[in-house]
Amino acid sequence: MLRAGALAALAAPLLASCFGETEPPAPDPLAELAAQARSDAATATAIASAHADLAAAATLIAQARQEHAVALQQEVDRERPPTSSTAPSPTGATPPSAPPSAKEAEQALTQALTSAEQQAAGLVPTVPAYRAGLLGSVAAGCASLREVLS
Amino acid sequence: MPSSTSPTSGAAEPGSLSADAVDGLQQALAAEHAAVWSYGLAAAFLGSASQAAAAEGSSVHQGRAEANERWIKGAGATPRAAEPAYVPPEQVTNATTAAAMLATVESDVCVAWRGVLERTDDAALRGIALAALTDAAVRATRWRVTAGQTPATPAFPGKP
Repeated sequence: MLRAGALAALAAPLLASCFGETEPPAPDPLAELAAQARSDAATATAIASAHADLAAAATLIAQARQEHAVALQQEVDRERPPTSSTAPSPTGATPPSAPPSAKEAEQALTQALTSAEQQAAGLVPTVPAYRAGLLGSVAAGCASLREVLS
Repeated sequence: MPSSTSPTSGAAEPGSLSADAVDGLQQALAAEHAAVWSYGLAAAFLGSASQAAAAEGSSVHQGRAEANERWIKGAGATPRAAEPAYVPPEQVTNATTAAAMLATVESDVCVAWRGVLERTDDAALRGIALAALTDAAVRATRWRVTAGQTPATPAFPGKP
């Protein structure tokens, strides 16, 4: 009893020092996924207007990746409400240009979807359960969108 | 820094799952059973070009159902049995309606496995659930394309 009490007394200040002086929190990993989804949506939109043969698939990809971006950003903001300094700046800088050939454009979309699927899937084992469902659907959605291209 | 703070008692046995996770697995098992049955029905209507995909889908779902039963038994619960028959959402009369039924069934499988993802912290089970969700989403997409349905995939497969 005495020993346990002494340990508890020691533990309290230790914990306080661990959590008291916090460094700036690590960036939310979902923020990067949201940014990538926004970028993929913009690329797919450019490809849809540049390559008629890919228009249907690229439009579907653009819409789905935009939905991914919104849902992921909502989750980031829910967890840590944005301040003016952390809110994602609108990426209105330079809209992406589509690769000149349809074959390259298709490869670019396939690569983007493969990478997005892997990124989301890689986080699934360790995130809180409610995030695992969202990320699982994003990963499965990217795999399905790739199927639409093939 | 926080070393040796965990007590020796109360550690979960490997393979033990929460009641919530087991419930999610039971629902996934029910969806897999329904998928196996539906592939059996669809095979009678699908064209020759779809037979290989149907046979593969059937065998994948049979395998997942069996693996799922092992997980449920491992957690000390009794796996639910398959129903003798299922009611397709729409009447199946030809290749198109058969493919549409399979798209619906795969979509149901996606929902069930996403449910497992949301109910367990077990990394191994999450990996299995993610693989099952992704596989079913891709199959659902193929059957929608076969049935001529658009869009070929929702943005969030498995989202109820």
